[in-house]
Amino acid sequence: MATVEEQFPDLPTTGRALPSFGLVGWRWISRNPAVTITPVLIPFIFLYFLSLISPPALLPLEIVGAMLFTMQNIGSWVLGDSATWRIECSLQDMFVASPLSRIRYLFGVAFSNLIAMIPALVVLFLLLDWIGGAQGHPVTWLVVLALFVSLFTLWVLFSAVGIAISSRVRTQREIWPVGNLTFTLLGMLSPLYYPISALPPDWQAAARFLPTTYAALLVQGALGITPATPSQMVLYAGLLGVCATVGLFVCLRLYRWGEA
Amino acid sequence: MRTDPPGEVLRPTRPFGGTVAFLWTEVLVQAHESLAMATAMVTQTVLLVFVYILNPSLIGVALIGAVLFSAFTLGQRVLNEAAYIRIDHKANDLYLAGPMSPEGYFLGMAAGILVVYIAPIALLGGLAVVVGHLALTTSLALLGLAGLVWLFAASIGYIFSTFFRDNRAIWAYASLFFNVFGVLPPVFYPFGFFPPALQPVALLMPPSAAAALLQSRIGEAALSSGQAELALFGLVAETVVVFLVAIFWARRTVRGP
Repeated sequence: MATVEEQFPDLPTTGRALPSFGLVGWRWISRNPAVTITPVLIPFIFLYFLSLISPPALLPLEIVGAMLFTMQNIGSWVLGDSATWRIECSLQDMFVASPLSRIRYLFGVAFSNLIAMIPALVVLFLLLDWIGGAQGHPVTWLVVLALFVSLFTLWVLFSAVGIAISSRVRTQREIWPVGNLTFTLLGMLSPLYYPISALPPDWQAAARFLPTTYAALLVQGALGITPATPSQMVLYAGLLGVCATVGLFVCLRLYRWGEA
Repeated sequence: MRTDPPGEVLRPTRPFGGTVAFLWTEVLVQAHESLAMATAMVTQTVLLVFVYILNPSLIGVALIGAVLFSAFTLGQRVLNEAAYIRIDHKANDLYLAGPMSPEGYFLGMAAGILVVYIAPIALLGGLAVVVGHLALTTSLALLGLAGLVWLFAASIGYIFSTFFRDNRAIWAYASLFFNVFGVLPPVFYPFGFFPPALQPVALLMPPSAAAALLQSRIGEAALSSGQAELALFGLVAETVVVFLVAIFWARRTVRGP
């Protein structure tokens, strides 16, 4: 049987997925400003709450936690978008029929949602620089590198989690509860807003299976909030990579694209 | 065969007609939403975990706050449900074309959601009573104030639901509203921790007003008589006004023949 390329030689086999989805993301936030305001404000609401009930020395750790949690939550937005487009708009068949591959689609949707989160991340980074510097945890190049690696890994991984779940969701009604339950629980099990040593032993053991834990420990170590030797930092980075690779593998196995 | 005269439509038989019927319809609908029920307590649990790990001495206050917050976030469920029925199912016209009154539709939906979600809230209430050693009168005050907060939130949720044209936009706005009113003010933490200059504002927000009144009963907040009156009368007045507006708005937004 002739392939698509043989049947339609002029059909483009590649596309500008990122700019296209970037435009989708921009149009979405320009039409709904709350979509940008909400991810900016919600971490601050939680940070304000945490700053009232916890020692002030934990604030830099909590800001890092808010950055990682914001990035993790992109997965929930990817889930929402992808499921809405498939179930409500019936658009996925068009994407499948186009030259877009499922991986490019994943990165496209993830990128469009990253646009809405960037203001929150920028504000949180500036706050970290200010508060961290004032409390003896300055933002060095090592911190910037650790933050970038951690945020990028979580962005890819949790976007994949979101899109894998979205491909299994059957109704519009399931989207919000499934996303809320999955991403909030994953975020809370990891020591994002408190030191891992503050958790009960069994909880600490469970948290060690989650990539977000190593992302948090890596950045906390780079900032000097949670003491870590260089070899421990390398270990955290390695475990983050291993957890993310395993997670990505599982997600891509679950992710339905063209079939049924 | 009896038919209605041409050009006539079925009118609501009486004010609040159909409330009980739609309540049980909503209970049956919601009872199938096991996923939504599983997520009912996620935010409250997260905040309670924060308090438990970072400042366990505040857990009694936080549990009372969790009950009030749970009652408050039922408004978000009403918002989601009303918008979902209207936008996604396009079924509200069908419901309202019958003899059911618009306010019966709104109140039946809100009460049905309350019935389904009452069990986890009661569990939190039980924990608050046991952990906070609440007296019977304080427990009854918690019940009554949570009821007022629920009525306020359900009314606001229904009114807001009528403004949405797109299901996708609901989460962002609703989440912002319910977090700003439910997490930022002193609901899960003592009233005295809130900046003094902004305390009157907190006393005018239903969830934090109810929390401040209860905290003052258990000795976790020192309210002057003026502050207590502001919290109580503000909460009652806001609830009554918003409920009446919701009834008016429900009648106003019904599509005519």
